[in-house]
Amino acid sequence: MRYLIGRVCLISLIPLGFSLADAREPGGKFLEDYCLDCHDADTRKGDLRLDDLDHNYTHPETFEKWEKVLARVSAGEMPPPNRRQPTPRERGELVDLFTPMLIRADAERVAREGRVVYRRLNREEYQNTVRDLLGIDAELKDYLPEDGQAHGFDNVGKALNISSVLMERYLEAADVALDAAIARFKPPATKARRFSPLDDQRLVNNKNIFLPKKDGLVFFSSGYSPTGVRAFRAPVAGQYRFRIATTPYQADEPVTFRVYGGMVNSRDGKTELIGYYDVPPGGKHITEIEHRLPKDGSIRPVPYRTAPDIYQVKAANYKGAGLLVHWIEIEGPLDNEWPPESHTRLFGDIPLKEIELDPRQRRRRRGPPEFELVPKHPRQDAEAVIRRFVGKAFRRPITEADVQPYLALVNDRLDRGYPFVEAVRVGLKAILCAPDFIFFREQPGELDDHALAARLAYFLWSTTPDQPLWDLAAAGRLKNEGVLRGQVTRMLQDKRAGVFTRNFVGQWLDLREIEFTTPDRILYPEFDELLQVSMVRETELFFDEILRHDRSALNFLHSDFTLLNERLAEHYGVGGVRGQPFRKVSLPADSHRGGVLTHASVLKVTANGTTTSPVLRGVWVLEKIMGTPTPPPPPGVPAVEPDVRGAASIREMLAKHREDARCSVCHRQIDPAGFALENFDVIGGWQERYRSVDQGERVRKEVNGRGVRYKRGLPVSAADELADGRRFDDIDGFKKLLLDRPDQFVRALSEKLFVYATGGEMTFSDRPEVDRIVAAVKERNYGFRSLIHEVVQSKIFRRK
Amino acid sequence: MNLLNTRTLSRRTVLRGAGVAMALPLLESMVPFGVRAKDVLQGRQRMVTLCQGLGMHGPHLFPEKAGRDFESTPYLDVIKDFRDHYTIFSGTSHPEVDGGHSAEKSFLTAAPHPGSSSFKNSISLDQHAVEKLLPDTRFPYLCISAGSFGLSWTRSGVRIPADSRSSRIFAKLFIDGTKEEVKQQVRRLKDGQSIMDTVRTQAKRLERQVSGSDREKLDQYFTSVRELEQRLVKAEDWAHQPKPKVAVKQPRDVTNRADFVSKQKNHYDLVHLALKTDSTRIVTLHLGGNNLVPPVQGVSMDWHNLSHHGRDPAKIDQLKLIELEEMRLFAEFLGKLRDTKEDGSNLLDRTSVLLGSNLGNASSHNTKNLPIILAGGGFNHGQHLAFDEKDNEPLCNLFVSMLQQTGIETDRFGSSTGRLKGLT
Repeated sequence: MRYLIGRVCLISLIPLGFSLADAREPGGKFLEDYCLDCHDADTRKGDLRLDDLDHNYTHPETFEKWEKVLARVSAGEMPPPNRRQPTPRERGELVDLFTPMLIRADAERVAREGRVVYRRLNREEYQNTVRDLLGIDAELKDYLPEDGQAHGFDNVGKALNISSVLMERYLEAADVALDAAIARFKPPATKARRFSPLDDQRLVNNKNIFLPKKDGLVFFSSGYSPTGVRAFRAPVAGQYRFRIATTPYQADEPVTFRVYGGMVNSRDGKTELIGYYDVPPGGKHITEIEHRLPKDGSIRPVPYRTAPDIYQVKAANYKGAGLLVHWIEIEGPLDNEWPPESHTRLFGDIPLKEIELDPRQRRRRRGPPEFELVPKHPRQDAEAVIRRFVGKAFRRPITEADVQPYLALVNDRLDRGYPFVEAVRVGLKAILCAPDFIFFREQPGELDDHALAARLAYFLWSTTPDQPLWDLAAAGRLKNEGVLRGQVTRMLQDKRAGVFTRNFVGQWLDLREIEFTTPDRILYPEFDELLQVSMVRETELFFDEILRHDRSALNFLHSDFTLLNERLAEHYGVGGVRGQPFRKVSLPADSHRGGVLTHASVLKVTANGTTTSPVLRGVWVLEKIMGTPTPPPPPGVPAVEPDVRGAASIREMLAKHREDARCSVCHRQIDPAGFALENFDVIGGWQERYRSVDQGERVRKEVNGRGVRYKRGLPVSAADELADGRRFDDIDGFKKLLLDRPDQFVRALSEKLFVYATGGEMTFSDRPEVDRIVAAVKERNYGFRSLIHEVVQSKIFRRK
Repeated sequence: MNLLNTRTLSRRTVLRGAGVAMALPLLESMVPFGVRAKDVLQGRQRMVTLCQGLGMHGPHLFPEKAGRDFESTPYLDVIKDFRDHYTIFSGTSHPEVDGGHSAEKSFLTAAPHPGSSSFKNSISLDQHAVEKLLPDTRFPYLCISAGSFGLSWTRSGVRIPADSRSSRIFAKLFIDGTKEEVKQQVRRLKDGQSIMDTVRTQAKRLERQVSGSDREKLDQYFTSVRELEQRLVKAEDWAHQPKPKVAVKQPRDVTNRADFVSKQKNHYDLVHLALKTDSTRIVTLHLGGNNLVPPVQGVSMDWHNLSHHGRDPAKIDQLKLIELEEMRLFAEFLGKLRDTKEDGSNLLDRTSVLLGSNLGNASSHNTKNLPIILAGGGFNHGQHLAFDEKDNEPLCNLFVSMLQQTGIETDRFGSSTGRLKGLT
């Protein structure tokens, strides 16, 4: 009887606190027959106890337990194979009985509170937002503490906590931002200067690696190369243009070089890679680059892959390729508008006047002239500034009550005799620390137009809504399906959508971890910086390609194309790709490449630089691709210790591990996916034999003119069997098995998109909507852009 | 008790003006009840925690024999002068902390599964001590790193950004600004207080609109704003007072990122000076670990890589050179503390120094059987406390002992099950 009632309105009628060990309760018999042997008060296998489980689904822990039970039972993972098994029908009945009840309970909670927990801007969003509000380009992110993550993303409300440390850093970051926005020193005029490396005596006198010529200096060494332009120091931080005139030397092939920017001439300064550039043989070639430099910054061009062993012969006797550098022209600052746009945006037409110095001060002073604001009516002017800023910063229409507190703060400072700009600054800083600024304002239920505009803008651009979005929201039109679709299309075409690719792919596929390990130099001598940056580029461009052309999302699993440059093509053994710019390439049938699982980027972030681990990679594939994350290992189980001496293969070591019943429950899920990738080494190269430092055959091979020191070790075997019994021989076979269940992958991908798009974790009651979306995009060949549209149009996205 | 309370609750601790009425929750923790009178009166028990991100090679560190007559090992040889001033622990770890390198997030917090995608951290040992002790020093704590990240986490699980430039830390501790700079700083601190006051009022308005888990977030905001306001009040007071003078020049920042030796040395020296001048009593120092080749004689491969030695003997030999150097720097630090006299005692006896790592076996990313050494702090040292290698003792039990030693009446922290057995 209770069973029947339970299906109707179980939540309110079932008395709380009764025990499910009672077989008469819904699901009770199933638990008793198949679960409680291990999961009772005494045994508590895996620290899970089910005998005290009740039906009070409003209790989060109870809800989670039920969710877990259903997930494991329906996936066939529980009970474990060595135990008595329920019939498929029994499993089905349990799932069918509880799913609607859990959905209902969850839906009620969501209706009450919304699925997204009150969320603040993360530091990337903060930086972009403040930059866009003020019209500046300052580095702000680094001032803020690192953000917490949930479900693999750093924009999830639940994990974005607040502390006094964060508040303190908000004050600091706001100061940095306002310093950049407020005009104080007039930047110098744009100037172009040409530098010849022949004028740098330090280079000319170094006969080991440089060769002076009539029309320039030949750079040989691609290793040590102190070639920063020392005669130039950026007078102010800003945008600069560089023109580098070069000719390949002693080469009938193109010569590649790279350029670093930043504090390249000081030992403690920050430098960054600007890019790699090819120079075709023949006449003088000019490479033109635009880049931002810090104050006092410069650039450093260095050839790539030339003359590794030049020290033994000296530059004059060297017969190999080098790069003849004729001159380097630097023009800038290019962004020296006065007063800067950021200043006008904040202060409108409040007059700006040069501070007059008496002659003695003038003699002592160096640097550019200093300016100050001289408002005619400080109070009114300050009010206008604050009003304008609050109006943009809060991402919604504002009321008088929103403005007053900040006005009061500023007026109070004016009364105390603060200089105008200092008084206004206190108000602006307060606005940038205000809850209305740092939190998203979303009310349970359907989002209003402005909240929707904000959600969309932060999804695709990680920043505050632009004017068109704002206007549509203000006009109350954004909720219209067609209008919303139009905006998504517009936003994806905008270059700001690059942030979506970088942030989403960077976290979904862990590409942000690309620098975490440096591959062992003995085992992987071919690894270099260009390979590493190319890896990430491939995956981002591949993602863009699929997104832009609405190609099937299944391309992420397997594709017959990818995007390569020469360096990566060489790494993959794909012929016919010359030069370092990326282009779309059709993959040969026998390349074993295609889909993100075969991208060197993914293969690198899932290895440790020395050895591959099927366990780590398997866990990664389950979580990122199949959407079935595994629980962490039980306490007290030692990890398999890698061994590069070449005596035992990882498969032999893991086999022991999988024999242990405690381990095998999860490892029969995890390991197969990892073994499928075992033919790819730690930098994503194809391997049929492991590389070893000790045992194995000698390898006769040269990398950059040097013999390799690693040995050819034990053979790799990638064949395995999925937990459901389907077998595969290698990565190609494994991908076929994945493609047999396209919905599973598309559902997993949709869930990742939803978490990222909304900043809220997936909940039980989202499932029907996700299923609907997966079915809808299936009709359109799983088009990825269609999937993005579906996500935005969904109830999940449009509600808190 | 009354006497103690007035001592602990200094005038700086008490909020002035409008803040007073709502500062209650913090006030409660200002009164460490039952604290041993000696410690509070002297108020000088310190705590320094050090973490090596890339572990320590166990076979070179752990003695076989347990107890007081443990045999020395290659790494312990380096600190043999301090044999009676340290205890080496084997068989300890944080129960549910796994996830390889990510375990460093939990080294001082013990929060489970730092590698999982839904990891939420909890308060770190040092911050817990700061909350309880509210030390009346210019800096409630220092969070320093020889790498990029620190070890300290707030109660809400936010990682506290670490200072990694020794020149800046030195300036913060010991260099007074000009009159004009001090004036400006005082103004900035005052403005900060007013800003916090304003935004708190704004958050009040939002309070009526939120419910459920949203309220939790808003509460976090309130607490944070209030805490910062209090801190700014304190900082303003300190800003008026001259900083202590030390007979050492401001260090230059180590520019070579690979040079962990100079980095660690600079930081150790600063920690020593900060403790000596009582500028702070709680310090966390992340000793770093990176994928660069350090300038250590005989080392040709990068550090991270060496730690993943895969049992390659050549790599283990190079790793040993690096780790011996780390031990030498640690010994030097202990020496400086020991040689600094204070009230008839010395700084080492009044500072609990924990050296450890979040990795037991770095080569396999194993987070069990952590290398742990506790020095100083007035414990009865001079032994090897060996716990079960298979069934590890919770490291938090040691943390509880450390907290108690610092004068905090508590019997739990993180995943502790009690005070550490055998350590008195």
